[in-house]
Amino acid sequence: MPSRIVGGVGLSHVPSVGPAIDRKREQDPAWKPLFDAYVPVREWLRKRKPDVAIVVYNDHVAEFTFDKYPTFALGAAERYAIADEGFGTRPLPAVPGDAEFSIHLCEQLVEAEFDLTVCQEMGVEHGFLVPMNLCFPHHASDWPVKSVPLQVNVVQHPLPTARRCFNLGRALRRAVESYPGDLNVVVLGTGGMSHQLQGKRFGFMNEKFDQWFLDELEKNPEGLASLSHHKIMEEAGAEAVELIMWLTMRGALSPGAKRVHRHYYAPMTTGMGLITFED
Amino acid sequence: MCAALCSPAEREAFKRDEEACMARFALTEDEKNLIRKRDFKGLIEAGMNIYAMLKIGSATGNSLYRMGAQMRGESYEAFLSTRNMKDAV
Repeated sequence: MPSRIVGGVGLSHVPSVGPAIDRKREQDPAWKPLFDAYVPVREWLRKRKPDVAIVVYNDHVAEFTFDKYPTFALGAAERYAIADEGFGTRPLPAVPGDAEFSIHLCEQLVEAEFDLTVCQEMGVEHGFLVPMNLCFPHHASDWPVKSVPLQVNVVQHPLPTARRCFNLGRALRRAVESYPGDLNVVVLGTGGMSHQLQGKRFGFMNEKFDQWFLDELEKNPEGLASLSHHKIMEEAGAEAVELIMWLTMRGALSPGAKRVHRHYYAPMTTGMGLITFED
Repeated sequence: MCAALCSPAEREAFKRDEEACMARFALTEDEKNLIRKRDFKGLIEAGMNIYAMLKIGSATGNSLYRMGAQMRGESYEAFLSTRNMKDAV
């Protein structure tokens, strides 16, 4: 039986969420609004009965370094190790993959003329782990879904365009639907929202832009696909360019996919957005 | 060097003897001076990638917010007072 995409989630992957979970601080006044927003999202995800999560994210100079930097890298392993990105290794079980499904995706995407780096071994860090913690919390020694990490270069220019990321999403949908494994697949588009970490504008956020982006992601993703990196960085901060990865998620959903949840919280240095779609 | 600081052993080596570590990775004198002075603003202006710099922050006991305050030209306390939730550290 063919496989299908049953839902998409756009969400921030702020690194401090990891330690907040590890140290059980989810009920702290500053954290509670964020974690409370995910309770109905997790319930909704469980009802979609997902088998695999395709997580579109960026590494932050931990697994991939500038000696050789892939534009798009897709994991094709049976398990992904927890990477140390400079702050120690979080106490999490390794993440299970679905190598056969990953390889099918690689073959289909390369045939659709997307140039991927295929990773048969890959460690994952906060860009991937925080969304997994929030959407698919792990059990003691396992995770409730298998994963396919899809890593996008958004950290060292030249970056792939927003439109390229959107089109990759569309091709990803076709690749998923041609897989005969009868899988229910959820796509996570991660990163953002508005934030800047480098230089004088450290701490910059732009809620107006973020809310507009959430509106457009639902109703006019084609318009977002036309955004230049420069425009996103100017309006929302240099590091907000991560938002192009949300377009891969949106492109993998049907144009009329129904938006279910929406949340926004910006206590410190990042506009933390959350949006879900049913398909 | 920043990539190497993703390993606990290298972070320990850096903490024990940062001059030796910097020499091993053949940093230029300008680069070494920026790191000696913990000049994060200068490192960014010299072209360091922010995520690479976070590894140096970790190895030198400088949190993201401390480095950020310096890049803004503010004290840590002044920076925190600009946040929507001042206690959310």
